[in-house]
Amino acid sequence: MTLIHVPKPPRSAVNQQRPVSSLLTTQIEHFYLAEKRLPLRYRTRIYTNAIRTEAEAARYIREVTDAIHRAHDDAARSRDRQTPRRTRVIDIAAVAEDRPLRKASTKRKAKKKSAQKSAKKTSAKKRTSRK
Amino acid sequence: MATGLDRLKHIVVLMMENRSFDHMLGSLKAVNAKIDGLTGTEVNPDTTPAQNPVPVRPLAEFQGQLDPDPDHHFPAVDIQIFGGDKSQNRTANMQGFVKSYFNQRRDVQHSQKIMYYFTRDQLPVLTTLALEFAVFNRWFASIPGPTICNRAFAHYGTSFGRVDLNPLYINEPFKSIYQRLVAAQHTAKVYYYDTTSSTMEVANLLQNQPKLFGTYAQFLQDCKRGQLPEYSFIEPNYSDHDTDSGEEIANDQHPDHHVQAGELFIATIYNAIKQNPDLWESTALLIVYDEHGGIYDHVVPPACTADQFTASANATETGMEFKFDRLGVRVPAVLVSPWIPKGTVVDRVFDHASIPATVTRFFIGDYAPRSPRETNADIFIEPNGAPADPARNLLSLTAMRTDCPDFDA
Repeated sequence: MTLIHVPKPPRSAVNQQRPVSSLLTTQIEHFYLAEKRLPLRYRTRIYTNAIRTEAEAARYIREVTDAIHRAHDDAARSRDRQTPRRTRVIDIAAVAEDRPLRKASTKRKAKKKSAQKSAKKTSAKKRTSRK
Repeated sequence: MATGLDRLKHIVVLMMENRSFDHMLGSLKAVNAKIDGLTGTEVNPDTTPAQNPVPVRPLAEFQGQLDPDPDHHFPAVDIQIFGGDKSQNRTANMQGFVKSYFNQRRDVQHSQKIMYYFTRDQLPVLTTLALEFAVFNRWFASIPGPTICNRAFAHYGTSFGRVDLNPLYINEPFKSIYQRLVAAQHTAKVYYYDTTSSTMEVANLLQNQPKLFGTYAQFLQDCKRGQLPEYSFIEPNYSDHDTDSGEEIANDQHPDHHVQAGELFIATIYNAIKQNPDLWESTALLIVYDEHGGIYDHVVPPACTADQFTASANATETGMEFKFDRLGVRVPAVLVSPWIPKGTVVDRVFDHASIPATVTRFFIGDYAPRSPRETNADIFIEPNGAPADPARNLLSLTAMRTDCPDFDA
């Protein structure tokens, strides 16, 4: 087996201030479009038109990549939280029965209250007119 | 008798950036005459009235030479391939590279650098792998155009009619190779270098299927633990940037990024696979470049089956529509496996649509729907389980090689 030496690039080869290439500019555009599809809370506050260097491009791309993963992870977690309830038929049925009842009773209460209020108003008006 | 093909379980594709075949591997013709590299007599006319011939020269530098980044958008590549001829009956002649590069800086001397190529000793990793394993004489970019549409062919087998950097590949009719594999209970992953470099496949896959992605660090771990998916696609680092552990240098070899950083990157991927004996025995690694980056190559790209899409004259910016019936400029492509005979040179025609075509045929078998371009693309690994055609099977050895090189990367 032959061992082949691989020279390393010099440290001076790194230049984070290098202007972005057309490829990186395109990548930024892709990420901008991707970012616009994210819910507001995941979006960066970076103005992409002002990105000029590789370092600036890299920072923006990292933030959006992280945000995309975070948004998907959060969505998966919330899906997981909901999933067990859906699998238990009895619970779903119970919930299904509870909700309309509660709504109905709330409505009824509201109706009752407004009826009471209007009754009070009428009697008060009557009292005033009598005066 | 069983060959290496019967042991194959993993296909790994590494796609680098923007270098032509002649620029990187042209010097190898002097070592192996079967490799269709440079004789040293290839020329392009310069832009002076005398149209003096500008020869190819072994003067390529790792960095600082190709500034500005040579134009490789559709109209510029059209000039490079057809020498600037816009007539109806024009013939491709690869005579417009100097002219195209001159258009960017209007500097006759500087425009000649587009003809420069690397010597063998400058690129010890890529040239060694090309000489030791299989090098493709006819692997072309899928489109005479820029990165994104060419990379799309590697993921989808088509660019859905685009010849530019448009990222919108949403609700398109063909599934990516990763989606196909996962749906068929196979494993696949796109490894980008890190979250700071991220991927060029954001428009569709990262937005919708982030679980398909991993980092290069995870790739190294997966190699070590023997957990590599059946299909892996590796993206290099596209930018110089800071990380928590220090400064990272771009290793994609896109001009003006340092070419030696890419060499090192290729070597570390090779080492990661080779250092796990089970993986080394069962993996084929394809190293390929997405397009030529505007740099000279002498081989005329051939015509190919038209895709079902057409790019309008407006989209091509050449005044002519494009039916995706011609390949882009030739790029370096090398297939690595210990089951490949040393010094293999492949003359069949390939392009990036060959990647999903090969991976689909190998892991899934018959599959539809696929683009016409992918359906007609040649495959570089014969189908799994079927009796391999000895003339086409690149992993043809019946005993694994023990003389493969090591890199001190």
